[in-house]
Amino acid sequence: MSHVRRAPFLLAACLALAAVPAPAAEVAIEGQAGYRGLAFKDTAQALLGKTGGGTFGGALRVTVWRGLFVSAGYRTFSADGERVFLASPGAPPQKLGFPLSLKLTDIPLTIGYRLRQGKAIVPYLTAGAVITKYAETSSVAGESFDQSVSKTGFIGGAGVELRLVHSGLVRVAGEAGYSSVGSAIGTAGVSKVLSEDNIGGAYAVGKLVIAFSVGGRN
Amino acid sequence: MQTRLAVAIVLAAGVAGGAAPAAEASDVLKAVRSPKVAATRAAREGELIVVFRDGADERDVQRALGEGRAAGARQSRSQAGRLLVRLEPGDAVRDAVTRFSRLPEVEYAEPNGLVRKSDGTTFKPDDRYYRYQWDMTQMNAERTWGIQKGKSTVAVAVLDGGIAYEDYTDPQTGVFYKKAPDWGDTVFLPGYDFVNGDAHPNDDEYHGTHVASTIAEATNNGIGVAGLAFGCALMPVKVLDENGEGTFFDLAEGIDYAVGFTQNGQKPVKVINMSLGSESSSETVRSAVDRALAAGVVLVAAAGNSAKGTVEFPANIPGVLAVAALDARKERASYSNWGTELHFAAPGGNCDRDDNADGEPDCVFQQMPDPDFLDVGRHDQFCYCGLDGTSMATPHVAAAAALLFSQGFTDANAVVKALEQTAERLGGAPADGRNDGYGYGLPRPANALPGLGLDTGPKK
Repeated sequence: MSHVRRAPFLLAACLALAAVPAPAAEVAIEGQAGYRGLAFKDTAQALLGKTGGGTFGGALRVTVWRGLFVSAGYRTFSADGERVFLASPGAPPQKLGFPLSLKLTDIPLTIGYRLRQGKAIVPYLTAGAVITKYAETSSVAGESFDQSVSKTGFIGGAGVELRLVHSGLVRVAGEAGYSSVGSAIGTAGVSKVLSEDNIGGAYAVGKLVIAFSVGGRN
Repeated sequence: MQTRLAVAIVLAAGVAGGAAPAAEASDVLKAVRSPKVAATRAAREGELIVVFRDGADERDVQRALGEGRAAGARQSRSQAGRLLVRLEPGDAVRDAVTRFSRLPEVEYAEPNGLVRKSDGTTFKPDDRYYRYQWDMTQMNAERTWGIQKGKSTVAVAVLDGGIAYEDYTDPQTGVFYKKAPDWGDTVFLPGYDFVNGDAHPNDDEYHGTHVASTIAEATNNGIGVAGLAFGCALMPVKVLDENGEGTFFDLAEGIDYAVGFTQNGQKPVKVINMSLGSESSSETVRSAVDRALAAGVVLVAAAGNSAKGTVEFPANIPGVLAVAALDARKERASYSNWGTELHFAAPGGNCDRDDNADGEPDCVFQQMPDPDFLDVGRHDQFCYCGLDGTSMATPHVAAAAALLFSQGFTDANAVVKALEQTAERLGGAPADGRNDGYGYGLPRPANALPGLGLDTGPKK
């Protein structure tokens, strides 16, 4: 529950920082695509046959002071599998043929710092909170087995941004990181058998960045 | 084995040439006493099982048989070193066991103990069809069938007194065996008659057909009653004779036969039903059970009908699912055994009660050869009859296991765990455990079949 309370606080802090007047503020819109790993990898392997997959999303980033920025994003991951029975950890999953869909939605709210601000190659670090919504849907002969929960956890990452054109408006970036969102699952099902409760995981995304200068030089 | 008084409704299933009333023509209400009383002998006289050590050749075997003063021997069909040895008249089994056990070529020798059917020895012919199958209601069958009805690629071997599964005239006796009327499209795999030594394991009495019908009697065809896993295949393996009695040797043979059976490169027998039991035990049967378990077969056996706190053999072998009987109140039937080896409790009925107030005794109703006609040597007349006993409870569990295999389970251990975890606890058993009165409780295949999601488990 403490995570749930922290998220609005961090969001407010980010927005407050964004609201501070800056002589060289920059607003950037990011499109993102990449890979989302699943912290509940054994559960995912049993149900989905994989431990991660493609993720897509975007973010809005505002530089508030020198290299300091705040960012709010959205990434989604989905995968299809089937319900199984797992007698115990290490036992072979018994595939039962009932389709199961999983969707994860990450909303990272972060603060970061861009090193070498204004250069062609800009490394950066970012950390903050992430709200992750997990939704599982499956149906067995007309009976729904749906489950959905949102939990807040922590996220951190590092990336490098490259300037594509001389003006610096269009850039590409690569970012990798990890989120931890515990106590979200593990109350039933395969995640309970395997004692996995974290719906976070590693991620690596490529970004296409369109940046705008607001109120002065970049 | 207890002898119980039953009230019976007899409906002849009608066969040309029969002297019985025509099908559907008349229901005859009558009280009958079960004609079958269990044997109390512990082992068959004049026989013993001898298992030779690995490496013993034919000459060793012949020498041992000579030194052991065997009158004859029957070789196992599946285990090279296993022989059923016949003794000279007057030769005591106990002395022969000692004599053979001392021979260096012999791994062990033991009496050819007796097993017997575990039914409650009562029957109640009936034509009231599905609505009298309180046992199916207790198993939540309708929801189960909504998920899985069974697949013919999954077979249950019924080790019993045979099944009325074919039209066949025995060339030696001239007896005509007729296929029971409500098999519909039920698939039968080639079985074996270990009692008579032929490939026609027909039912010489009624017990085996009744048990098999609980598993896979044709369902939703407008006649008769329902089977819980009616889409699954059956394999008749006859190890009990016309008196419901068999030997450890034949039981072991039957287990090995079912486990070793292959068809199109597959081993279709996933479940073995043994509605039988004995108060003695056998290393030969135990070894066969171990081989079956190692082969990934689920074995289900009756706990016994002695109202004792001990589970009979072979149900008490570790790994075998021992089944007690429930009455219509979900209470352990008064005749049912219980004990530390008990795994499940399933509908076995009690023909002395009518707790569901449907006007009929709470027996388990299935098709079977009509006992009135069996008494006059006829095997071509059938009835929908009620029996009670742990024999009747056992096939409900076997059918539940077969349904899980049909859904995609491939691991026998997982089948057992799924049934354990989703069973309805009874008698105050803890949610994550069992008790000696009811084991893990009443299997709920409808709860086990959906399996697990990421964070969603079975609904109770």
